[in-house]
Amino acid sequence: MGGKSEPAKSESMATKPDLLNTSFFSFKSLKLKTKQQELLLRISILGLVYILAFIARLFSVLRYESMIHEFDPYFNYRTTLFLTEKGFYEFWNWFDSESWYPLGRIIGGTLYPGLMVTAALIYWTLRFLRFFVHIREVCVLTAPFFASNTTLVAYFFGKELWDTGAGLVAAVLIAICPGYISRSVAGSYDNEAVAIFALLLTFYLFVKAVNTGSLAWALASAFGYFYMVSAWGGYVFIINLVPLYVLVLLITGRYSMRLYIAYNCMYILGMLLAMQIRFVGFQHVQSGEHMGAMGVFLLMQVFYFLDWVKYQLNDTKLFQTFLRITVTSAILVGGVAVGVGTASGYISPWTGRFYSLLDPTYAKDHIPIIASVSEHQPTAWSSFMFDYHILLFLFPAGLYFCFKRLTDATIFIVMYGLTSLYFAGVMVRLILVATPAVCLISAIAVSATIKNLTSLLRTKQKVSQTGSTKGAGSSKASSKVTLDQSQPFQKNGAIALLVGVFYLLSRYAIHCTWVTAEAYSSPSIVLAARGAHGNRIIFDDYREAYYWLRQNTATDAKIMSWWDYGYQITAMGNRTVIVDNNTWNNTHIATVGRAMSSYEDDAYDIMRSLDVNYVLVVFGGVTGYSSDDINKFLWMVRIGGGVFPVIKEPDYLVNGEFRVDKGASPKMLNCLMYKLCYYRFGELTTEYGKPPGYDRARGVEIGNKDIKLEHLEEAYTTSNWIVRIYRVKPPTNRL
Amino acid sequence: NPKSDSDLKNELVSLRSTAESGVISFNNDDVSKFITSVSTPRPYSLIIFFDAVHLHGNSQLRLPEFRREFRLVSATFITNNNNESNGTKLFFCEIESTHSEASFRRFAVESLPHISLVSPTTENLTESDQMDGGDFTGLAESMAEFVERQTKLTVCSIQRPPLISKTQIGIIVAIIIISTPILIKKILKGETLLHDHRIWLVGAVFVYFFSVSGTMHNIIREMPMYIKDYEDSSKFVFFIEESEMQLGAEGFFVGFLYTVVGLLLAFVTNVVVRVKKLDEQRMAMLLALSISFWAVRKVVYLDNWKTGYEIYPYWPSSWRG
Repeated sequence: MGGKSEPAKSESMATKPDLLNTSFFSFKSLKLKTKQQELLLRISILGLVYILAFIARLFSVLRYESMIHEFDPYFNYRTTLFLTEKGFYEFWNWFDSESWYPLGRIIGGTLYPGLMVTAALIYWTLRFLRFFVHIREVCVLTAPFFASNTTLVAYFFGKELWDTGAGLVAAVLIAICPGYISRSVAGSYDNEAVAIFALLLTFYLFVKAVNTGSLAWALASAFGYFYMVSAWGGYVFIINLVPLYVLVLLITGRYSMRLYIAYNCMYILGMLLAMQIRFVGFQHVQSGEHMGAMGVFLLMQVFYFLDWVKYQLNDTKLFQTFLRITVTSAILVGGVAVGVGTASGYISPWTGRFYSLLDPTYAKDHIPIIASVSEHQPTAWSSFMFDYHILLFLFPAGLYFCFKRLTDATIFIVMYGLTSLYFAGVMVRLILVATPAVCLISAIAVSATIKNLTSLLRTKQKVSQTGSTKGAGSSKASSKVTLDQSQPFQKNGAIALLVGVFYLLSRYAIHCTWVTAEAYSSPSIVLAARGAHGNRIIFDDYREAYYWLRQNTATDAKIMSWWDYGYQITAMGNRTVIVDNNTWNNTHIATVGRAMSSYEDDAYDIMRSLDVNYVLVVFGGVTGYSSDDINKFLWMVRIGGGVFPVIKEPDYLVNGEFRVDKGASPKMLNCLMYKLCYYRFGELTTEYGKPPGYDRARGVEIGNKDIKLEHLEEAYTTSNWIVRIYRVKPPTNRL
Repeated sequence: NPKSDSDLKNELVSLRSTAESGVISFNNDDVSKFITSVSTPRPYSLIIFFDAVHLHGNSQLRLPEFRREFRLVSATFITNNNNESNGTKLFFCEIESTHSEASFRRFAVESLPHISLVSPTTENLTESDQMDGGDFTGLAESMAEFVERQTKLTVCSIQRPPLISKTQIGIIVAIIIISTPILIKKILKGETLLHDHRIWLVGAVFVYFFSVSGTMHNIIREMPMYIKDYEDSSKFVFFIEESEMQLGAEGFFVGFLYTVVGLLLAFVTNVVVRVKKLDEQRMAMLLALSISFWAVRKVVYLDNWKTGYEIYPYWPSSWRG
């Protein structure tokens, strides 16, 4: 079992030195030696890539202003602010009474602190160096900074997997890959910003540990894992992929001492470190999602034990019998342990999110709160094309190259690539996790292809000049074969192919720049649209509304809105909300969903019971903004109906169709959400040549133009009607 | 010539015994024969499922599913009330729209799914008890509940046929038990397919193809492979112009193009170079290059069309002139 891994190791070692020789920029006129030239080139390329990765993500700052984007980042920003103002211990013990009224939320125990602590450290370092920046600027630029660091990790990873060439290409590809940029532009201050860096770093260090069998690298990868656990819930991917990888190595007979050291050290230390994060706690020994890693850990010990017994016994027959007994009993014991653990409730079953990855139809039927999020939707092919572009074409080629040269490292990247790509197909947001793997495998394809082709061109010259090709591309079978081929074609063919590859790469650069600039750099808190004359129109309604709340409502006012806007209201409006984007309490969200989908009288009772003072709705009927509350409304009904059976989805549909015009169902036309969105809308002409009350987001004339409010009154509507705020009237005096 | 009550009842029973799951297909004549021309109180209740074959393709209405559940309720009712007098008090029927539009109008059916209960005393068909939306959500169980509530008859708990029968389970378990030791032995000896890296390569490419062609999207959203054109039903639509959605066939087509180009690249750099004959090599090269070129152009074109984006480079403004 242990014997097979040796050649693999020596092979991977042998490929390293030859790149130094194959550098083709050997101009005699330059004084530097070839090695130095290569080093200089490599470092300058890396430096440029580092800068490129940073500046490509600044489009949003240039186009709008330095601000935090989207929803979750506002919470992260608020907590970071708290951390820098009050210090770490206050932050750790923070009970937030401004959200989830009347329940509140224990912040320290329910968040991944990695991002906030990172930003705070950067901030304190800068202050220490006498750069007096605002914490917001640090938060805005954290994501690009870490994206730059990721390119470096990608370089080293590529180098470890293949050679320096692949490393450089990987760094370039990942620097501008839209799949990664989508979550790391300036201002997208979210966990993923640092998590992808941590993820790739952990993987790199682990592969390095497996390749070298060194405790130091394994320790480093345990710390990488710790950073990842502290930063993002996606660490579950690592703790499942790594054992899976080890299992595959075991099955394919690649067990080795190096693997033993790397995995055991990384697993045990990583687990102990991860337990220090309060939000994760003892899940590593209690939750079903982490049991695979423990199982593989135990299996590893069995392998080691068997190896030892084999060494002691020196008798194959005896060993065979022993083997049979041990394997059977080990499997039995493991099965019984898992069974007992689950039955006794010690091991918790898998969480919904995890289920929905394995059985993707699960979420749709059972957990509307997961299925409702737009980034949890399954991926269509065009999204892949949009986020990966030519990497998709290069990926199969890269797979082929990896299989041509199977080592422990390439097996890892293939497994990482395939599993993450599968998950990316299940949920749009997981394209992000797959991006580094896709970039690395594609980089292998690009680098190996270009290397093959250029060595074709070069060997001929060498043959004609010196007749010696010693050392050039010795690991590549193709270049050996090419020596005895006729010459004129190869040159043409190689040049044609090279031109093709460079053409593709240039298209990739163009695509990435365009996508970054046009699609992924909008903050979504400020909306932009093209006017009739091609000019850019900015809708700043969200901030207008939040600042209105801040200035005009009582400081203890409670705002009810759909959960999407909770973080923004607390961060910018500084007011208490009923629910927010941390969807920890389904019943509470369902209560809000129920209020929104009930008639005004019933909703009023619910709002009174929650002490609601203001209701905030987002409405796109005037501007044509499509992700407004009316379009999200069915999810409110579904989530509400999931807890309160009085809310039934078919009541809001007509023939299975969701409508707001005259043909809409009566329940729809009179529910609270409809009334609040369309109040006074019937008097407004939105588009020339259309009747009043024409909803531009849905493209229909609304069905109920005569809306009277009984228990609520309009408090504020922003300039483009995107946000509408209503005041809940206190109960009338009873005599 | 109005028949006697028992004649009608017997006729219904005989119709039921020949119908699948005991759901009797009604047409316009049957409606007048068994409902409108019989004086109240009728000796039986009828529960009618309104079906439209041409809407079966509409995945939002879920008509086939409701129809299946309706039949399940019917079958359960019949088995549980077979020998009692209650068994002839309720009959399950369905009316299909293409041949019985008049009945749809009589019942004032405007939207599907629609299930109505005609109780013995119902005079005006438009006032028959309609199963409302909430009774659909729980499928067969809630339909049965509705029936029991309205007719005071018992349906009993729904018996769903198991996915795999007990003998099948037994066989599968036996196979697993027998094959486990053999598999373990083979794995330890290292002579299974698992040790052939070509199998893994094919598997890997398949996983890639599976993911990028959006198969998961098709499974989760239950997208059809293609749809029929709204205006001209003889035409098929394979591609839809919306970036968040896709049809089954278009995903597979594009995924296939991705895979082909990728594999051609590997093929050109690893296989073609080993071809000895110059002409063959040249041809293979040319072919591979032109196919790749066409495929890439096609995908980029399709993507631009689907997403509606037009991607252009940012040249310095002075270059535009």
